Amino acid sequence: MKLNAGPARTIFPFTALVGQESMKQSLVLNAINPAIGGVLIRGEKGTAKSTAVRALARLLPELEVVADCRYGCPPDQPEVQCADCRARVAAGEELPRTRRRMRVVELPINASEDRVVGTIDIEAAIKQGERRFEPGVLAEANRNILYVDEVNLLDDHLVDVLLDAAAMGVNVVEREGISVWHPSRFILVGTMNPEEGELRPQLLDRFGLCVDVRGLRSVDERVEIVARRELFEEDPDAFVVSYEESEQAEAERIAGAIVSLPGVEVDRQVLVAIAALGIELDVDGHRADLVTRKAAQALTAYEGRPRVGLKEVELVAPTVLAHRVKPSAHGGQRTVNIGEILRNAVGAD
Amino acid sequence: MSTPRPTLPFTALVGQESMKQALVLNAINPAIGGVLIRGEKGTAKSTAVRALARLLPDLEVVADCRYGCPPDQPEVQCADCRERVAAGEELPRARRQMRVVELPINASEDRVVGTIDIEAAIKRGERRFEPGVLAEANRNILYVDEVNLLDDHLVDVLLDAAAMGVNLVEREGISMWHPSRFILVGTMNPEEGELRPQLLDRFGLCVDVRGLRSAEERVTILELDQRVQRGERWEESGEAECRQAEVIARAQDLLPLVDIPAAMRQFISLICLDAGALGHRADIVVSRTARTLCAAREAAVVVAGGLGELERQRPADALQVTPQDVIRAAELALAHRRRDATAPSEQSGEGIADSARERLRQMESEAQGSGAEVSSEQVEASPAGSGGDRGEGSAMQSPERAEAQEPAPGEAETAFGGDTFQVRRLQLPRDRRTRRTAGKRNLTRSGDKRGRYVRSTQVERTTDLAFDATLRAAAPHQRTRRSEEALAAGGPALLLERQDLRQKVRQRKTGTLIVFVVDASASMDAEQRMQATKGAVLSLLRDAYVRRDKVALVVFSGRTARVVLRPTSSVDLAEDRLQRLTVGGTTPLTHGLVAGLKLIRTERLRDPTVYPLMVLISDGRGNISLFGEEPIVEAQRIAAQIKTENVRSLVIDSARDYTQHSQLPRIGGRGAQPLFGGYAFNACLDLSGRLGGKYFGLYDLSQGAILQSVQQELRAG
Repeated sequence: MKLNAGPARTIFPFTALVGQESMKQSLVLNAINPAIGGVLIRGEKGTAKSTAVRALARLLPELEVVADCRYGCPPDQPEVQCADCRARVAAGEELPRTRRRMRVVELPINASEDRVVGTIDIEAAIKQGERRFEPGVLAEANRNILYVDEVNLLDDHLVDVLLDAAAMGVNVVEREGISVWHPSRFILVGTMNPEEGELRPQLLDRFGLCVDVRGLRSVDERVEIVARRELFEEDPDAFVVSYEESEQAEAERIAGAIVSLPGVEVDRQVLVAIAALGIELDVDGHRADLVTRKAAQALTAYEGRPRVGLKEVELVAPTVLAHRVKPSAHGGQRTVNIGEILRNAVGAD
Repeated sequence: MSTPRPTLPFTALVGQESMKQALVLNAINPAIGGVLIRGEKGTAKSTAVRALARLLPDLEVVADCRYGCPPDQPEVQCADCRERVAAGEELPRARRQMRVVELPINASEDRVVGTIDIEAAIKRGERRFEPGVLAEANRNILYVDEVNLLDDHLVDVLLDAAAMGVNLVEREGISMWHPSRFILVGTMNPEEGELRPQLLDRFGLCVDVRGLRSAEERVTILELDQRVQRGERWEESGEAECRQAEVIARAQDLLPLVDIPAAMRQFISLICLDAGALGHRADIVVSRTARTLCAAREAAVVVAGGLGELERQRPADALQVTPQDVIRAAELALAHRRRDATAPSEQSGEGIADSARERLRQMESEAQGSGAEVSSEQVEASPAGSGGDRGEGSAMQSPERAEAQEPAPGEAETAFGGDTFQVRRLQLPRDRRTRRTAGKRNLTRSGDKRGRYVRSTQVERTTDLAFDATLRAAAPHQRTRRSEEALAAGGPALLLERQDLRQKVRQRKTGTLIVFVVDASASMDAEQRMQATKGAVLSLLRDAYVRRDKVALVVFSGRTARVVLRPTSSVDLAEDRLQRLTVGGTTPLTHGLVAGLKLIRTERLRDPTVYPLMVLISDGRGNISLFGEEPIVEAQRIAAQIKTENVRSLVIDSARDYTQHSQLPRIGGRGAQPLFGGYAFNACLDLSGRLGGKYFGLYDLSQGAILQSVQQELRAG
């Protein structure tokens, strides 16, 4: 597998990042199973949040797409194809195939709604008097990672739009004389600095996982970070080449996990433990349960094991629950022993 | 627009029986008027609505009518179909399934209402109507996900159409109407803000869903999700789906045969009065729902028995509405119509059912007491009876009684601890304020291209071109303009002139941000000040909720100030946090002011147009230093800073209570001296001066003075 060159600016390699294991793990799990539903990275300034997300792009797997479809539909899954592709299949056409790497599509927080949702194609309207849809960011994000830096500063109406699309996996456009829908299934990755304001609860819940990153406290690691950064800035290309091998290995590991994921088994006992955790911590709704299961399964695949154990659940649960557990009665943080709850549930079953 | 997408089968959904029942009832009887599903995140709300689409019954439609008119009901046909019938034409018939049409919350008005067909106008110079979502929704389900986030102007359009069953279009040179009778289905998460009461009332039924709490069910959900991921097909639930669809179809046939005994009609009226439901829609919806429940029950028996319509030996009472039907219908239809529906709806359903049962027992004993006949078929299910004359009497009474029970406007009751007193509801001048801000948006803020594009207008100098509207305005003239320019061959297809240009009108959602900075130090314990404070904040909160302001709560005590509540429009959340406040420790007043100011600064970063108001509730006696100065001097300095940053403020002095106004009733009644009564210097008054804000005593709350002051504050801005 060859890594793509990426944009003009050289990107810091993912595997060269020091520490922040839980952030890296969450990103990797999402790359393995997009159904986990993205990750929110909360943390102070200068903790490699954005760097990690951009770096992930080079490790992402390849997708099979319809070559000339502007939404990059999967040729073999009719139920998530756009209307055009469906019509072509229905007409008996063989869809042309190609492979491309999954991408990181950025949503700038000052984006205008028409650019996000898509709008009428002005050129076509003026030149040919035709009404045509010009796809926006949500179209581009289909089957890719949608990355929102400073997601907590996103305008309220854009949050609404994002919620709508994330919930349905479809972007329905009924505006400016255009009436179309297209698939928009993306992995939502957001970064934020909590000092600048909170996120709306509904949007918070849309993120499958949430990790809190802090600056590293170990001197050795801090020294290592500075050293690597200096090397990178001196000669970015040489630095990237020196990590080529580890990047290659990581990309292959992710690709392997994607292949083995469907075969990873989850025992009923593990499901019981997951349900018990949700009940014990009194989280809203069922999304937490579903995400825990998917994340634990992805982690198991990543580790190359055939069967999900409590250990995997215990490892992913904090990132699933970080943003879903309500603060205790007096506004303070709750301390819970996730492992104990899980083991008790299994013991009692 | 119906967007095909993979969905779980309706019958495979675990639990949430109320939600499923409400949806099925609407599918059987569209006259019920839709359902609103309220609930926390991740409870399969949207999934259920989308899954319903497969179970919907078939409709008979005029084959080539774009509104899908019914061929046999001239009174709800479109103008076209009526003309054709009048001209003696036989309307071509077809059958199609009822659909779920989605209204995305970012829809623009022209697509919802319908507009001029641009292509037809440009290419052929024809002025043709292009139907919008409201046309497509005719005789179908109109589904609005996150309905509480729908823009106000779209809500207006929706209400209009829902009320009349007709969509009137007067725009862009188009003047026409078409039928638009739809079942409104909405889902919402109350944490994100409430719904306008008028829109709330449009929903026939309302169900609250919560996550399931049983481990068994949760595991079933997990297993289900796993199968979805594996892409398994749903053979075994195919049968259940068929059966459910058949029950719906069968129940539709049975519905006209269902009978409501007079006693049940009376029962319905009484329940609605008990619930304090305003208006009469409640009675109508409960009775329709009860009838539909009855039909569905009987249809389920028929389908389960695998019987044909005629083979069923139907007991005489099978199609009579029972008290159980009525109680269940009331649970579904009254939860959002109760007088106190604005209060957090914890016990919504059960409370109604309980009071209904109570009412039933009462009716029953009255009926027996007066010796009236108790209809025997109802005794079996649950004994109930009536005298017809009494029923009529109470039905006639009902309008007066309903009116008498309406709360006096402008007042809300707030209870603290054991003591209750009336806190004047702060009625802020909403209309005026909205207009003012709207004006700002239109004119002085046209350079600011942020916000949602809601509609277009014609202005002298267009700075923010609304291309779609411009195109529509120009479209009808293209043919004439082109012939003028015929010589310039090969030019663009569209010729724009100055008068075609349209400006975008944008709307921002954010308005006022009220930051409560509340003292929770030990001194607030005296005279139940904290209780009174909670009451005060609560009444302000209720008001903020109605007007969709954002509120935030900062609490200081001990050695720190905490942001207990980040800016939110969720009053439930705010009330919840407020109830949990505890009192104790010293008074770090400066910390509180600084935290409040920081919060406002952040919010301004996010939205420069936000209009902040800081409400400080304290005795003003800061005794903990933040910067190492004298605490009171520090507080004064921060107060001045807040003023220079253009933050409006209001100080409510918790120390100035009833002692200085001995003619007024006391809250506590223990007769304690005010803690700082002896000080010559009034710290709060001084602070309010430096803040440039108004000063009040806590007791003023019951005097309505704060009402005026907040009004003035907001007007002045």
